[in-house]
Amino acid sequence: MKKNITIKYSTIQVMRQLKNINKTISGLILPVAFLFCVSAVQAQIPAPPQDRPVALEGGTVHTISNGVIENGTVVFEDGKITAVGTDVDIPAGADVVDVSGRHVYPGLIHASTTLGLSEIGRVGETVDLNEHGDINPNVRAEVAFHPESEHIPTAAVNGITTVISTPTGGLISGMPAAMMTNGWTWEQMTLEAPVGMVINWPNMGRRDTRDENIEKLQNFFDDARMYQTVKKAAGEEGVPRHLHDVRLEAMIPVLEGELPVFINASELRQIQAAIAWAEKEDLRMVLVGGRDAGYVADQLAERDIPVILTPVISGPSRSWEGYDASYTTPLELYEAGVDFCIGGESSAAYAYRLMHHAGSAVAFGLSKEKGIKSLTLDAARILGIDDKVGSIEEGKDATLIVTNGNPLELWTRVEQVYIQGREDDMMDKQRRLYEKYKEKQRQAER
Amino acid sequence: MFKTLISIVVVSFLFIHNLNAQTDQVVGLRENTPAVFALTNATVVTEPGNVTNNATIVVRDGIIEDAGRRVSVPEDATVIDLEGKRVYPGFIDMYSDAGMPDLGSPPQATAFQDIPEEYMEMLQGIMREEVTEDAGRLAAHWNPQVRSFYRSTDVFRPDRDAASVMRSQGFVMANIVPKHGIFRGYSTVASLGNDDAGNLIVNEDVAQVLSFSPSRELGGRYPTSLMGVVALMRQAFYDADWYDRAHEAYRQESGLEQPEVNISLASLADAVFKEVPFIADASDEIAFLRAHDISKEFALNMWMLGSGDEYKRIDAISQTGMPVIVPLDFRQAPSVEKPEETMNTSLSQLREWYLEPENPARLVEAGVPVTFTSNGLRNKGDFLNRLRTSVKRGLCEEEALKALTVTPAEMLGVDYKYGSIGEGKAASLVIADGNIFDENTSIRQVWVDGNKHVIEDEKDVSGKYRVEGEDILRNAVIEIKGSPARLSGSLTLDQESVDLASVSFDNQRMSFRFKGEDLGFEGNVRMSANYSEGELMGIGEKGDGTIFNWTAERTEEITKEEEERERREAPDLTLEPLYPQVEYGIREKPEQPSYVVVQNATIWTQGPEGKMENADILISEGRIEEVGRDISVPRRAEVIDGTGKHVTPGLIDPHLHSAIAGGVNETGYNMTAEVRIEDVIHPNTVWMYRLLAGGLTTAKLFHGSANPVGGQDAVIKMRWGGLPDEVLFEGAKPGLKMALGENVVRRSGQYPNTRMGAEQIIKDGFLAAEEYGKRLQEWEDDPSGIPPRRDLQLEALLEVLEGERKVHVHAYRQDEMLMMMRLAEEFDFTVGTFEHGLEGYKIADEIREHGAIPVVWSDWQSFKVEAYDGILHNAKLLNDAGVVTSLHSDNTQIATRMNWEAGKVVRTGLSQEDALDMITKHPAIALGVEDRVGTLESGKDADFVIWSGEPLSSFSIAEQTWVDGRKYFDREEDKERREEVKEERLKLIEHLLENRN
Repeated sequence: MKKNITIKYSTIQVMRQLKNINKTISGLILPVAFLFCVSAVQAQIPAPPQDRPVALEGGTVHTISNGVIENGTVVFEDGKITAVGTDVDIPAGADVVDVSGRHVYPGLIHASTTLGLSEIGRVGETVDLNEHGDINPNVRAEVAFHPESEHIPTAAVNGITTVISTPTGGLISGMPAAMMTNGWTWEQMTLEAPVGMVINWPNMGRRDTRDENIEKLQNFFDDARMYQTVKKAAGEEGVPRHLHDVRLEAMIPVLEGELPVFINASELRQIQAAIAWAEKEDLRMVLVGGRDAGYVADQLAERDIPVILTPVISGPSRSWEGYDASYTTPLELYEAGVDFCIGGESSAAYAYRLMHHAGSAVAFGLSKEKGIKSLTLDAARILGIDDKVGSIEEGKDATLIVTNGNPLELWTRVEQVYIQGREDDMMDKQRRLYEKYKEKQRQAER
Repeated sequence: MFKTLISIVVVSFLFIHNLNAQTDQVVGLRENTPAVFALTNATVVTEPGNVTNNATIVVRDGIIEDAGRRVSVPEDATVIDLEGKRVYPGFIDMYSDAGMPDLGSPPQATAFQDIPEEYMEMLQGIMREEVTEDAGRLAAHWNPQVRSFYRSTDVFRPDRDAASVMRSQGFVMANIVPKHGIFRGYSTVASLGNDDAGNLIVNEDVAQVLSFSPSRELGGRYPTSLMGVVALMRQAFYDADWYDRAHEAYRQESGLEQPEVNISLASLADAVFKEVPFIADASDEIAFLRAHDISKEFALNMWMLGSGDEYKRIDAISQTGMPVIVPLDFRQAPSVEKPEETMNTSLSQLREWYLEPENPARLVEAGVPVTFTSNGLRNKGDFLNRLRTSVKRGLCEEEALKALTVTPAEMLGVDYKYGSIGEGKAASLVIADGNIFDENTSIRQVWVDGNKHVIEDEKDVSGKYRVEGEDILRNAVIEIKGSPARLSGSLTLDQESVDLASVSFDNQRMSFRFKGEDLGFEGNVRMSANYSEGELMGIGEKGDGTIFNWTAERTEEITKEEEERERREAPDLTLEPLYPQVEYGIREKPEQPSYVVVQNATIWTQGPEGKMENADILISEGRIEEVGRDISVPRRAEVIDGTGKHVTPGLIDPHLHSAIAGGVNETGYNMTAEVRIEDVIHPNTVWMYRLLAGGLTTAKLFHGSANPVGGQDAVIKMRWGGLPDEVLFEGAKPGLKMALGENVVRRSGQYPNTRMGAEQIIKDGFLAAEEYGKRLQEWEDDPSGIPPRRDLQLEALLEVLEGERKVHVHAYRQDEMLMMMRLAEEFDFTVGTFEHGLEGYKIADEIREHGAIPVVWSDWQSFKVEAYDGILHNAKLLNDAGVVTSLHSDNTQIATRMNWEAGKVVRTGLSQEDALDMITKHPAIALGVEDRVGTLESGKDADFVIWSGEPLSSFSIAEQTWVDGRKYFDREEDKERREEVKEERLKLIEHLLENRN
């Protein structure tokens, strides 16, 4: 490491040092300072905005948008990437970090999670997912995104830098937000919001609830269009004042095509009904879930309907299907030309397992390149945030990860995470408890 | 499929004699109608395979006086000419609850037959609920499901409607069984006549009836699971045995404490002693074998009430030697009209639909003694048609008849009088107009103990009728269409036609009306007529009130039978047996080659040799012969090129809840050490194949975590296609599941409510077990006085104290694990494993000192409060502290990819070999099977996996999985299997659709 670190006796800095020591010369030095300050260490203390240029030098740079650059350098300043290549100028005063033998990837994007909105599944007080009632287009995820959630740093240190935090339940759950996994407040952590409108397509197997729910959804959209008409006319000569309606108001960007609908549908009848309905309503549709998407892949491809496939690690849903049915769905979609990205489990606690889902698809035939792309650039494009994240390109956010291998491999470690140029302290609850009880073992040995 | 168009409903005309019991008080005048009949010119099937033409049967007072070809008709006999008819012995239904009371609605008492209330209470009432504290209990078993004292004879009240329907199918007698409980009580054999119970019952207390389905109406909180039912059954049989011995001891010696009086145990002991048959119900072929295990354990004479699934495991079923009472309630055809329905239809559903009608034939072919029951049929009037279907599907007519007559008569001990036709036998007969197995044959009469019941088909009145006589509608043609329940029609006169309205027929009288205007009549014309064999004799009323007479004769019938027959002639399919009968089931056990060599692979031995590059492994007859480099290949060895491949021991999951029937938790009580997973293994799940596809070869099947002391577990090998006792890992260390924490304390209203209470209830159990052990020892030293009772619950706990059984303790938090270790130390045993053990890393040293094995997840956490401190580094920290640590799944899907679970842990810095230990060697130790599996060493079982790359890598998959030196999974062969599954599904769907249209 050429990095010129000014030793400050802050806890964070000590921890950072220790982390590096553990990585490189573990066990050789055991600073007394560590013992002194360990109990004071908290998970993830957000770093200040990037205040000087950083150059990651000599690594294998996976730009995603523009191939792999061996022995490449990435320079970023004020949170934005300023240069990528083998022969780039490093600005004066830059922190130069030697990443030779390491890989640099864009931060990974989890396209469908409840991170920040849910802490402990069985404790209702810690779960902010499902607002009262069936129709909640107006609720927005970012305002309930809990910066103190222990699961956020765990996602971050495992390379998940951007997540789509999603409300759930009912027919219209609300608006998901693209959140960064490092920051002091939800406001600071919001990358973009809203990114869509979540609709849960009714279960087509149950005729009793099916018709009722579809009608409810349709009526609500019809109401929203009336509201849109009224709003357009507002202020015109002779138009009386109309009272506000927060639910209907929230629908205007959807009706105007600014906001896509994220329709959750897994069974093939649901998927087809959702496609047809979105077409009729002239909506921008993204299919979320898509367990049976492989059976309607051609229709999805023809209509350019993007898919957020979740989760891949799962069992077959029919007894005659091959044991690997769920693992091979990504390959089927790829071969049919469907635009898709891979999401993981929705549980906040398991957001950090995202890459295993792409990894399992690779085990069953998907290329590693597409596997990575489905967690980065493809996800960013489908979510409409590819102007900021998803690839290593000049002008995009310096949201990057440095790893010791392919992120899809189970044991690949993410060594450093930068979110908009800010250096993550790579500390989370899991590591904190690890360090704490490592210390218990040390004491026991003495 | 069946003869549904002309369904048989029944009209019974009864000719009765002797309605009163002999001891009854005579009320009014005496009735002495003579009852002497001669049935002449009949074709008589005296018993299966024995047909006499032109025979005469003389019946006097219900008994056959003479039967045969040269029998003379007595002078006093009324002659009934049966020219063209066939006479069979009446059929016997082996399992019927017709006439047995429902709980909650005791039979209506009449003035003459009042049953004392207390008596009814004993029979039905009190046994329904557990005793409250202020009310004493009957001298019966503590569990209301144990009603072996119950006698059907006492409560049987003939149900004339039910009997009438059963007679329409040829039944003259039934084994009447009680409806409720696990131990349901005694059955009684009764004729299906219209008489009082006292005149119908012919044999009492014929069999004790058991059921694996508890009756919720009886109340009680235990058992809630199938394994609980089995445990209760076993304990009750042991208790019955003890009851006899205890009372015997008490009678022999004065000064002893009197053993309890218990009518349930007394009657059970009596039944076992007298070798009374026990009838048990089997919900499928696996349940059948389960019941057989119980019959073996207690040397019972058992008859099985079958399920229709027996054909699936016909060899194993026939080897039990048990007779089967076969139901004919075939499953409905699955709906496959739409693609999405087809996609959601499994191969097993399709096969069951197709093959179930063959079940009776398969049983008979296999030499199983077969009888029949109408039990399970929603409409018992379908019985005969179902039976005919089975005959069409291979059941020999003679065998079918045997199963309906002589076999049940012998089993029920009534063959001296029933089941065949001959001198001295009861006149319980079926008279049909042809071969009874022919679908066009109708039963005309059924005689029950000399009483004639006339059976008629539901009348088909459709057809064209020409009106005759001197009336205004002369030469009109009335056309009637449809079935009696839904008729329509028209009337044509002089080429003018009108529709008929309100067409109805009630078995005797037809009626309709029409608007008269078009035909020149005023208003609505209303007509009705008596129907008799195609002739109508009626009156009509015109709109103006004029009444007229009319008659008409049927000139044309409308038949649908021709086309119906054609449809049914579709060629039969050939379906080879599949074990189990689900997708990817196998036709035969994979062979076990004498030699197999995998060459030039990277072999992760997990033994002292470590990981070996470019190495070979030699397998011989199910065992590992050698692992090394350049092993010389024996002749005729099967050689597998392992270049670029990796070989590991078969993966082991020490915590799985798959392949278990009837619930994984017995929640009835907090201490249920007596229940055993081994009793309820159900290996018919396609998941077992999927587990093999993920490289899993061994797993421990666990009871759930609902109670502090759960149940006994079972270790299985993935011998796909095997029966429960074949998949059991022989010699595995027995275990007992226990549980701590949120799951056991969160159920309010019962002990324990806190972690403090959890400690105490476990301690209390072990103290009781200790005392139980001492009592057994005392008895062994000095067997005098009242013998100790065998207590299956305390026995399991005692085995723990004696080190013969490991405890596997579900626990999340460090405090409760520490408590459990200290408690175990108090009783001088070692905790076998901590299951889940999320906070194991917090007390790694303490666990090492104690010697328990944490069986943990890689990284499952935060779904509940006690899981909030779960970390990926758990296994790593434990391993660093020198603790033998294992991973587990607790979930069937996770169990299909244990290599990836271990791969995750590598990220914490653990070596791949150490991580692999956690899914091979270490779980083998946890299960007590480390001398057999878990490493690749000479002499161990040939359980191994060939991987496409590094075994724990995200990018690797299992290519072959071997168990006992047999290849159970091969990715290449899997592709062929998928094609086979697809083809067979399509073949069956096509057949189904062809037959339906």
